[in-house]
Amino acid sequence: MATESNGAPAGAPVPKETKTSAPAPAEGPVAGPAAAATNPEKLTPAQLKAKAKAEKAARRQKVIANKEAVAAAAPAKEAGKGKGKQDGQPAQSKQHRGSMSGRRPSIGGLVEKEKDVRSGIPECFSHVPMAKRVPLSQAHKDVDPAVLVAGQQMATFAIKDSISRLEATLLAFKKVIESYETPKGNSLSRHLVPHVLNPQIEHLTECRPMCFAMGNAIRLLKTKINSFDINDPEDETKEELLEWIDTMINERIKLAEYLIARNAAGLIEEGEKVLTYGRHRLVEKTLLKAKEIGKTFDVTIIDDPYEGGGQTLAKTLRQAGINVLYSPNLGGLRPKVAGATNVILGGEAIFANGSLNAASGTADVAMAGQNAGAKVTVLCETINFDRERVSVDALTYNEIDPERNTAECFRLLYDNTQDKYISGVVTEFESGGGNSPAQAILALLRTREDPQIA
Amino acid sequence: MPPPQASYAPSLDKLIKSLKSQPYETSIEALIFLLKRRQVKGDDCAVATAHILLQVVARSKWHDVDQLLGRVQSVGSRLARAAPHEPVIGNIVRRVLGLIRDEASEERNNADDLGSESGSDIQSLAPTNPPPQRPAPTPVLMRSSTAAPGGLQVSKSMFNILSAATSADTPMTGASTPLSQAQPASVHALRTEVIDGIEEIMDEIQSADDQIASFADVQIHPGEYVLAYQPTKTVERFLIKAATKRRFTVFIASIDPIDPGTGEKPYAALRKKLNSHGVTTVNLASNGLMAYISRVNKVIFGAKVIYQNGGLLVDSGACIAAQAAREFLKPVIVLGAVYKFCPEDPSDEAVIGELGNPSSFVSYAGGPEVEALDIENTVTDYIPPSLVEVYITNLGPQTRHHLASILADHYKVEDIGYSLHDGEV
Repeated sequence: MATESNGAPAGAPVPKETKTSAPAPAEGPVAGPAAAATNPEKLTPAQLKAKAKAEKAARRQKVIANKEAVAAAAPAKEAGKGKGKQDGQPAQSKQHRGSMSGRRPSIGGLVEKEKDVRSGIPECFSHVPMAKRVPLSQAHKDVDPAVLVAGQQMATFAIKDSISRLEATLLAFKKVIESYETPKGNSLSRHLVPHVLNPQIEHLTECRPMCFAMGNAIRLLKTKINSFDINDPEDETKEELLEWIDTMINERIKLAEYLIARNAAGLIEEGEKVLTYGRHRLVEKTLLKAKEIGKTFDVTIIDDPYEGGGQTLAKTLRQAGINVLYSPNLGGLRPKVAGATNVILGGEAIFANGSLNAASGTADVAMAGQNAGAKVTVLCETINFDRERVSVDALTYNEIDPERNTAECFRLLYDNTQDKYISGVVTEFESGGGNSPAQAILALLRTREDPQIA
Repeated sequence: MPPPQASYAPSLDKLIKSLKSQPYETSIEALIFLLKRRQVKGDDCAVATAHILLQVVARSKWHDVDQLLGRVQSVGSRLARAAPHEPVIGNIVRRVLGLIRDEASEERNNADDLGSESGSDIQSLAPTNPPPQRPAPTPVLMRSSTAAPGGLQVSKSMFNILSAATSADTPMTGASTPLSQAQPASVHALRTEVIDGIEEIMDEIQSADDQIASFADVQIHPGEYVLAYQPTKTVERFLIKAATKRRFTVFIASIDPIDPGTGEKPYAALRKKLNSHGVTTVNLASNGLMAYISRVNKVIFGAKVIYQNGGLLVDSGACIAAQAAREFLKPVIVLGAVYKFCPEDPSDEAVIGELGNPSSFVSYAGGPEVEALDIENTVTDYIPPSLVEVYITNLGPQTRHHLASILADHYKVEDIGYSLHDGEV
């Protein structure tokens, strides 16, 4: 359920948290007044939220009706409320559409146009979520400007990969926490998440389904906030939270990147032929690191013509003095892979069953690599590991390219590489030359700190 | 050098129209130019080759079978060398050569049917061996794979001793001497027979797509998701035929990137036709195909050439589809008319793939770092036989275990080993 609403790599943590730690807004119109009764100050926002929820649910129902009876938008069937609530949060685009027609009836033309955003998606992919540009004027009023910016960047794919999105989210949340003041009669640990953070998270999800790293980090953040005592002084709590976020960025992103590049570079053997797909930050760092420590090797870059990042990588490596063979697409993959000894791939996320979620085309390369007898190494930070979800095919957790979302031109952003095609995963937890099989991620996480992820 | 019509955009149609009005040598040159510029490619090569060979048979001067075979071989090698990436040309040349041998032996049999029965067995033992050996030792320019056809050839010639002895003794051997003496009377008849035969081959090429399409509704079932990789005309006809009987969904994938901004709609005509029959189509704008393959029931694409080992020469990227299908145990159905069956093993060049122009992918205005890059844009793929489930030919569905019999039915042993990339014969 949650996945349907929040999008593939996003969902579960948020609605789940919403339900457990933030009962008031999530429970919809019934809970709203209850919260209002106990806390007179919050009456308005809580009610508003409840109302918005109801509207969203109604709009969602409408969209379903639309689908069935092409564009016959039946206005707000209240019956849909229950389902919408259960989903935690209706699918972002639909929800948005709803709020638009509800709040700004004047821009009807635009609404009509917006309605078509998902209508072109072929039936068999209609369950897959898609990023969506949310006009700033349509954002929830509680959304912090910093989060608005981050949301825009994510919706437009200016910030694309999971770790950059995680970093942008954390930095934006820092701003939110800095400017946060606990209302009278509340404590930070009880008020911050449901009333301040959740709208931000919802907005980000609306812009683009959350990536697994964001889901993990938000879960950790919420646990951290909940761990504070009601009586802790606000200033100290805020200070500690901000520090915690900094540590998160430093350890899970910056240090992890350095360690993975170092570990993976150590795995490249002298004179090896390395093959990679597209352009992944960690792969780029690794290859440059390997060059830096004096290894000689050739690189074959298989690019995705829809992304074109491989070309940038090719130029960067070339400038570093590495021999590069560039192929603009997957054509001739077999002979190219046959010449490679080491296939290094970057990942977006790894699921509990060890399968890799990565840029579309990665699975094809990994499979060809494994079949040709090359070793297939995946680089991935542990914050990207998802311990709860399991994926056996690419249609379970995925995203539709918002630029190509019709039958005339359709594209999924990710694919799913089964663990049998992966020889090993390099994470920041590894030291020296070892790396672990993909299936071992649960065990790996459990042996380390971080019971929240493992 | 360029033929007169080269000044107006030359095309195969114009060439075929002008065949009768110009010396056949001019037509050959014109086709060679078209082939070299790749203005004729794929299935058209087969048609063009047949047309040219028809002219050669009809209008060149020859007095006996050996001369005719020599002519066809020499013209065939010129065409094949103009387009080494199109083995179909060689297939047609071999078909015509086989045809000539058949007709010639029939003639001869008619001429002296007395005692030929008992004589041929003994006679053929001697002459059978020389012809197949003739091509094998000749130096080979491009093909490194002569060894393997050679192997096949030996087994075939053993087989031949008993079954196809009559056809074996025609070319340039002692056995053909009596034939040559009988020639002047039968040259005219032979010419007519061979021309008829070539016309039959042309008919076969033309009707192949329809025949293949007639097997469509057996293969495609209602409600299925079919991945068509870069559908060729053959595949298009196949899908449309199936669409008249079934409701299913077609995913169309292609290696060429689709840019939604340009308004260009790939395969618009095909999609329109399929949609009009109620078949849903989706253009996949994707590099990898693993993401979609779990949804797909079967993968269909057309082959440029089917080698004797069952491997395929295809548009680049089809291998990605075949490979993904293999991993998810989805059947791969290959459409290819019989004239695409090539009695050779794939050359190393074919396995590695042909390189095309990369300029559409890389802007060479990008400066020195781009110019210093080694860029490879592969435009053909080789698919090993293990990835293919079914071959649907105009003679019906086949598996790779029975390809040998198709080859044996359509090519003469003497011509299988004949490398079209040798110098002029």
